[in-house]
Amino acid sequence: MFKMMSLFCVLIFSGSSWSKDLIVGMELSYPPFEMTDRSGKPDGISVDIAKALALSLKRDLRIENISFDGLIPALKTKKIDLIISSMTSTPERAKSVAFSTPYLKTGLALLLQKKSKIQKPEELNNSGITIAVKKGSTGHLFATQNLKNANLLVIDKESSCVLEVTQGKADAFIYDSLSIYQHHKKHTTVTRAILESFKEEFWAIAMRKNDQELMEQVNIFLKVYKENGGMDRLGDKYLGDQKKEFKKLNIPFYF
Amino acid sequence: MKQLLYFISILLFFTSVSLWSFNEIGYEWNWAGVLDYRKKFSDGFITTIWISVSALSLSIIIALMNSFLLGSRHLFLRTLGKFYVELVRGTPLLVQLLLIFYVFAQSFGISNRYLVGIFSLALFSGAYISEIFRAGLESIPKAQWDAARVMGLSEKKILSIIIIPQAFRVILPPLAGQFISLIKDSSLLSVIAISELTLNAQEVNSFTYSTLESYIPLAFLYLLLTLPLSQIIKFLEKKMKYET
Repeated sequence: MFKMMSLFCVLIFSGSSWSKDLIVGMELSYPPFEMTDRSGKPDGISVDIAKALALSLKRDLRIENISFDGLIPALKTKKIDLIISSMTSTPERAKSVAFSTPYLKTGLALLLQKKSKIQKPEELNNSGITIAVKKGSTGHLFATQNLKNANLLVIDKESSCVLEVTQGKADAFIYDSLSIYQHHKKHTTVTRAILESFKEEFWAIAMRKNDQELMEQVNIFLKVYKENGGMDRLGDKYLGDQKKEFKKLNIPFYF
Repeated sequence: MKQLLYFISILLFFTSVSLWSFNEIGYEWNWAGVLDYRKKFSDGFITTIWISVSALSLSIIIALMNSFLLGSRHLFLRTLGKFYVELVRGTPLLVQLLLIFYVFAQSFGISNRYLVGIFSLALFSGAYISEIFRAGLESIPKAQWDAARVMGLSEKKILSIIIIPQAFRVILPPLAGQFISLIKDSSLLSVIAISELTLNAQEVNSFTYSTLESYIPLAFLYLLLTLPLSQIIKFLEKKMKYET
């Protein structure tokens, strides 16, 4: 009975685990990193990285569009080989999955209510200050650990976090500097932005912990790709305007 | 006694199949990482309990009020009641929550999100419950009204001693289902930053990247709330059977 069940399972699942395709999981809803073009094909910075990675490993690429919450289970149950989906590597997360060397550096920034009295990040940790964070983001993690005196609003949706700030229910929204830049551009009359990041963060590719061979291949690929200017080209291609603006403000760019 | 035995054997079978499945796919657990956040689970659990209980009580009151509207002699009031039911039942709770909190409550200057959350949830559930009430009342044959009138009973008396006791038994099973839905729907309150059980489990998932390890306890904790509820209703059903 047991043997038959195993055989049955092997027959069903062999398709994904034995094929030579490199299966990359990502959620295609974070432009310009993970998105789809007009014809519905995957597009964006992470997609280009995945394509280059597959090319260097000489494997065919298959991209699976999976919602963020489903990515980790898909990886751990071997439905996908790795995740490139704007994931920030933290020591705590590394207990569950393995991370490559970082391919992008970003940081936390502040979207402020124009009327708020906050002038710099150090003033956040005070009672009477209300801070919106997106549930589960690194901004949320930072706030729970470092801003214990402030009143914290944990919110499901990024757009609602912005709404809390524009409506004056929250003084500040802590998020990555790229998103904060974009939100501030949309609401220049009611918000201010502090884009200089007060905490650095690194995005990395996630793999299974026991997949050592793939991990080595990925790290070698990333090193070569960066040295050959692959990342800089991606920055020019997808984030040209921001790159110029950041240069003007004298803030280091992501790659 | 026999039923308990069956129950335990089904439970054992289900558990062993689950464990076998996880073993077969070589799932690497990370329970230790999730265990660090046990306080998040207990805090969220407590919030979910008191929010659900408050919303549940309020939804019964709202449903009763709406039943009076629906049964009113004035066409205007009846239309109002129907409008409420159709509007609330036909639109997603997510949209209602966002609109009520960010638009209506904001314009009236109400900023307590727990208050607004409980009210929205009760408003949503109340529409369903008032329909359950209506179905219960209508399930009693019209002939009973006629017979009672012939006996010379007043309308109030007919309702309170003949119709409602019978209708009560009819509405209990769908009511149990609705209450259970309400408890699980309370997870949507996370969109207006109410830190209930689901939101906290999702947070733990994002901090630890251990999705199933965060969500499996969540399932157990919701069962811990919904099972006693359906047991209480079953008990009431049994008790009502003897009365009639």
